[in-house]
Amino acid sequence: MASIELKDVTKRWGDFVGVDNQSLTVNDQEFLVLLGPSGCGKTTTMRMIAGLEDPTRGDILIGDRRVNDDLPKDRDIAMVFQNYGLYPHMSVADNIAYPLKVRGVERSEIPAKVRAAAEQVELLDFLDRKPRALSGGQRQRVALARAIVRTPQVFLMDEPLSNLDAKLRVTMRAELKHLSHRLRITTVYVTHDQIEAMTLADRVAVMQHGRIVQLGTPAEIYNRPETLFVAGFIGSPAMNLVDGAITDGGFRVDDFELLKTTLPARTGLVLGVRPEDIQVVERGTGDFDAPVFAVENTGESVLITVNAGTQRMTAKADRHDTTAIDEVVGLKLDPTHLYYFDRETERRIDS
Amino acid sequence: MKLSGRQQRHFWNTIQVVLIIAFTLVMLVPIAWIALAAFKQHVDVYQLKLLFTPTLENFVTVFQAPYHLGDKLFNSTVVATATVLIAIPIATCAAYSFSRFDLRGRTALLVLILATQFVPAVVIVLPFFVMFRDLGILDTRLGLVLVNTAIVMPFAIWMIKGFIDGIPIDTEEAALVDGSSRLQVIRNIVLPMAAPGLVTAGIFCFIIAWNEFLFALILTNRDAVTLPVGLALFKAEEGDLWNLLAAAGIIIMVPMFVLALIIRKHFVQGMTMGAVR
Repeated sequence: MASIELKDVTKRWGDFVGVDNQSLTVNDQEFLVLLGPSGCGKTTTMRMIAGLEDPTRGDILIGDRRVNDDLPKDRDIAMVFQNYGLYPHMSVADNIAYPLKVRGVERSEIPAKVRAAAEQVELLDFLDRKPRALSGGQRQRVALARAIVRTPQVFLMDEPLSNLDAKLRVTMRAELKHLSHRLRITTVYVTHDQIEAMTLADRVAVMQHGRIVQLGTPAEIYNRPETLFVAGFIGSPAMNLVDGAITDGGFRVDDFELLKTTLPARTGLVLGVRPEDIQVVERGTGDFDAPVFAVENTGESVLITVNAGTQRMTAKADRHDTTAIDEVVGLKLDPTHLYYFDRETERRIDS
Repeated sequence: MKLSGRQQRHFWNTIQVVLIIAFTLVMLVPIAWIALAAFKQHVDVYQLKLLFTPTLENFVTVFQAPYHLGDKLFNSTVVATATVLIAIPIATCAAYSFSRFDLRGRTALLVLILATQFVPAVVIVLPFFVMFRDLGILDTRLGLVLVNTAIVMPFAIWMIKGFIDGIPIDTEEAALVDGSSRLQVIRNIVLPMAAPGLVTAGIFCFIIAWNEFLFALILTNRDAVTLPVGLALFKAEEGDLWNLLAAAGIIIMVPMFVLALIIRKHFVQGMTMGAVR
């Protein structure tokens, strides 16, 4: 059991900055997700914790011990890779046993430990097979079993589900959640999938351009996005972000008034509102009226996109909704879930 | 007349097959001629007839005085085997470094290694002769092994590097995190996974060393003569002894055919192995 601490860590390749002067503390037994688009530095951050990449500057501590100069093998970690990183010339049992063998665990103890790990991920029937004879999901299970066969101080998972098909990903996500809940080992998990981040994490660190832009529980990230980037990145369908200004007691897009507000006048604003916080109502009874641009039925709900002045907004309506294209409807925005951002600084303005 | 798509495809397939057969014939006819000549008596050699009384006489003669092909066979085997045993481990180390470590000037060095192959052997064979004479290793198997190792090394490095490049880096990193040192990663992960590649490269080097002619011709004269050079013995005063030459040629070629067959099997294995994803 151990916490992880990054102190002012920077990773540079020539002029390119991968991770920019970043500090972060992962608490003991915490499941922390590094979330962000590709190239945001999340994988680099994890690889520095693993020791597969050396930081250009800064300190990395695992359980109060500075590990900058330790080889990966001396950091007492286990890692699951996106491409599984299995040993194709070894059977499943030998794959799982490898961390024990190479660390000199007593030969007689190994089979029992391998079976115990395999049982946790339901692989007992496949121990004699070679990885190539397994499906993607089974291979990922082997990688998991290899990680849990000994009890490391830290788990590192680098997009472990992204090579699986959509359905399997959901199943494996639940299994991961179950496993991490039972094992209670400090975990850092890298993903670009916000659903994975929301469902698995104790805390999420959203990264952009080599920096953590917001760190918080999934609920905090979702309900109180600090920046435009976080607001747009978290949530599906994405949050509506509308450029406008507050004048004469109303938020306007050009001259089109979206809603009344008591906030002081201000220009250069972005209004953020999630599709699920917009209600489609009778014409004239909402905050504003607008013609319907598109109607998309996703099965669980109906997405209604309208032309709000010069911009478009999407509302998530009940799945029985029968609104048609070109119809003019009223839209009602939930006043408790409106976010204002400064266009220049891209930061949220506390109202 | 306009052909349907299916007929067109059929037409081109036929052309393809005809061309392949024609090409194969051109390649195989000389070999077939040698193969037949090896079993002919001297009088029959220049006759193109396919019906003749076959004899194994030639294969017996070449091993007897004054030809002593057995000695040359022994020399060739020792030289080619030793070349492979020395070259492959060294090339593997080099290839691994080139593949996995971000060395300064890596690309330049790789090209330079390959560039040694661009120098015609004729140009450097004389300096080698002088050098070997001064070192006292003229006409020794040791000298030939040294030369052949130098000749095959670029091939071996490039080939093995290709196989190591094909091993997913994730696999090695997984092993590092799992608790291996770099040497353990190489021994437990890289070598077993690259094994088909090492075998293929080894056989390639063996064939090159086995067939090497020019250096062996200049650097040996009695004790360390190899098979290809030995062939020249049959251009004797009595004229070209084609039947004996052919028999010796068969003895040189057969092991190569066998090795080529082995490579083919390993080559396919090597190609399909990295499929972890």
